[in-house]
Amino acid sequence: MPSDTPPRDDDSLMNRFERSGMRRARGRDAVLCILVAAAILVLFEGSAVRRAGEETSGGVGRSVLLAVGRPTTWIADHLPLHKAGTNATSWLEPEQNLGGGAFATPGTAAGGVPAVTADAFEPEAIGAKPPPRRRLHTLLVTGDSMSMPLDDYLAQRLDPKGVHVIEDPHIGTGISSTLIVNWGKLAVAQVREDHPEAVVVFIGANDGYSMPAPDGREVSCCDAEWAAIYANRVRAMANTYRQAGRARVYWITLPTPREPARQEIARAVNAAIEVAVQPWADQVRLINSVPVFTPGAVYRDAMPIDGTETIVREADGVHLNEAGSSLLAKIVTGRMEHDFYF
Amino acid sequence: MVFPSIPFAVFFPIVLAISWALMARPIAWKPFMLAASYVFYAAAGPTFCLLLAGVTLANQLAAVLISRAEGERRRRILVGSAVALDLFVLGVFKYYSFFVGQLASTLGHLGLGAPLPLLTIALPVGVSFFTFQAISYVVDVGRRVTEPASMLDFAVYLSFFPHLIAGPIVRAREFLPQLASPRDPNRVAVGSGVSLIALGLIKKVIIADYLARVLVDPVFAVPQAYSGPDILLAAYGYTAEIYCDFSGYTDMAIGLALLLGYVFPQNFRSPYRATGFRDFWRRWHMTLSRFLRDFLFIPLGGSRGGRLATYRNLMITMLLAGLWHGAAWTFVLWGAFHGAGLVAEHALKGRIRAPAWVKWLVTFHLIVFSWILFRASSLTIAGVFLSRLFAPGPATLWSPAVLAAIAVVIILQLLPFEPLQWIQARMEGMRPVLLGVGLAVVILFVGATVPSEGVPPFIYFRF
Repeated sequence: MPSDTPPRDDDSLMNRFERSGMRRARGRDAVLCILVAAAILVLFEGSAVRRAGEETSGGVGRSVLLAVGRPTTWIADHLPLHKAGTNATSWLEPEQNLGGGAFATPGTAAGGVPAVTADAFEPEAIGAKPPPRRRLHTLLVTGDSMSMPLDDYLAQRLDPKGVHVIEDPHIGTGISSTLIVNWGKLAVAQVREDHPEAVVVFIGANDGYSMPAPDGREVSCCDAEWAAIYANRVRAMANTYRQAGRARVYWITLPTPREPARQEIARAVNAAIEVAVQPWADQVRLINSVPVFTPGAVYRDAMPIDGTETIVREADGVHLNEAGSSLLAKIVTGRMEHDFYF
Repeated sequence: MVFPSIPFAVFFPIVLAISWALMARPIAWKPFMLAASYVFYAAAGPTFCLLLAGVTLANQLAAVLISRAEGERRRRILVGSAVALDLFVLGVFKYYSFFVGQLASTLGHLGLGAPLPLLTIALPVGVSFFTFQAISYVVDVGRRVTEPASMLDFAVYLSFFPHLIAGPIVRAREFLPQLASPRDPNRVAVGSGVSLIALGLIKKVIIADYLARVLVDPVFAVPQAYSGPDILLAAYGYTAEIYCDFSGYTDMAIGLALLLGYVFPQNFRSPYRATGFRDFWRRWHMTLSRFLRDFLFIPLGGSRGGRLATYRNLMITMLLAGLWHGAAWTFVLWGAFHGAGLVAEHALKGRIRAPAWVKWLVTFHLIVFSWILFRASSLTIAGVFLSRLFAPGPATLWSPAVLAAIAVVIILQLLPFEPLQWIQARMEGMRPVLLGVGLAVVILFVGATVPSEGVPPFIYFRF
């Protein structure tokens, strides 16, 4: 291994460009070069400037970006280059590797029959030996308002046992609407930030929004087409949360709500969740709350707990109350004990 | 504002065009560049600009007083006061919470726990870099190596946006002469500048962020969850990541300065090619190494006071180098490890004969080991990480892409020639339009790999 350390008299190597004879262009060449690059970027990705402005929180910077972004967006939108650029570079998108964490318009699988992998089978379900249990260090509990106060009860149960429980509810959000929170992106951010070994997801109370189909049509709730789009989004999130098989996900279905209109949505949501997690049954556990809280998908306010009839639902007929959440936390931790010790 | 971002992509072409338009008139160019640099810094936090302005004013005042001081003693006192002020600023903003926390913990253990004024102080980005540059200025003025600059020149030097946030640490005597006269508009290294910007983007966004995302961050977050093969790969992965992250930033900074007509000192020279710790520090973060050598190691006595004094000076220098990187025991331990490596190398000099490749292999793996201390969020995590190094289990993170990324980073540094210089020489002969097209294509491809949350901050932004 040769050692070619610089001589002491020029240890900052300030003259390296002189010595190599590299300073032979003009200042105007530098400007021309950068302006050409900027112009090409505007043609291909002009709308990115406006998006950056919209994501900036107030101030002069936001105003400048929006002012620059309006004409650049207009230019990019009137040219076919953006689509061509996206097609040329889409294979590099990191979310593809995370299973489409950011919601893209769901499309059909590429040609051929998708392969079924071993991840689709729970070893216990087919009588095989399960993998050894691991110690649980970090648990993420997330979802919409349904995940509250479940998250508190899980923290109460697991914090004393040395598990770091991260409570990350996003009230008023839904998978079918990206207006407030894009759950595809949020899932990626949560995993990136917290690297949880286990994730509990309880969401769906606010869903039922129409979503775009692959051909751009808006699909209203709650037919099979809507459920398929919803399932694709759930699958993308589940794939992100499972972290290539390193983590376990516990996805809780919605207990049947009181209102008939909401029941229709809950049925579609639950059906979509069941289909979505099938490829990774070994890593994404479905916790079906319907038989527990609303057997036969029939709504009920109260149920027997430890021999006593106990109210388990909130007055809104959607959420679980303290008693219901406490019971659910017990069920979830019981299921987690198959995979972890704590 | 980070270099690989949309706001900077809007900011830089405007600044570059105006800069060259005003270059012939320094009376207009300097205020413009000062304002542009403060706008750049304000994007990180407008209030931080007050700190930067305060450091600028105080050090310029000190430099003027030092240059006018009669007598060596008075000059030394003024230099010492200015350096102490800079270190106080650094201490308050960077180390206050660390030291108060440690003090509270110690008092608590002794049963003397008392409520201490634990304030939450935001760390201004780049504070470690611009305070070091201010120190280099007043010390060089005190040593009569540099004449005091005008207030405007010094302010431009300290705030010049390409090096403001994360270096390289440009010495006053390297930059102020370039401000003395307008840059020659016919001697600009455009090809080198563009190639460095493109290379920096590729290093940071494609390699460093990718390795962090799929390998390093998950493993260092919960090393308990991974077995030996993955732990080992994560150690090599971080070795590649931190080089690409930091040298990528430096490449972009040097490239941007070149397009503006300015030259910065070199900061990296194939560091993983080093055959010893001394050699490593001549190749890794070279501007920090020079700063520590000239403003800490040599003033402490360097190697002039005999063997033991040299060892002491090396250890002090590297312990403080560790602490400079962050207020945490992991960084202190990292600095101590490098200090011990330098001491051992000094002590064994000439006593051990080994082929160059053996020296390289040993040095490289000691450096990899030291990065584990550097990256771990706590000593506990570092301990767990090391304890899992030989834990049997599957290699779940070994993928061709990860292996290729790590191998490319290391092998390219071992080549007998520097591929970058060859690329720069080729690009220097290209037409500017072609260079612009090439840069745009690189940005489009690099941009496609950015995840939805955007480009993660550079590792050295924290320092």
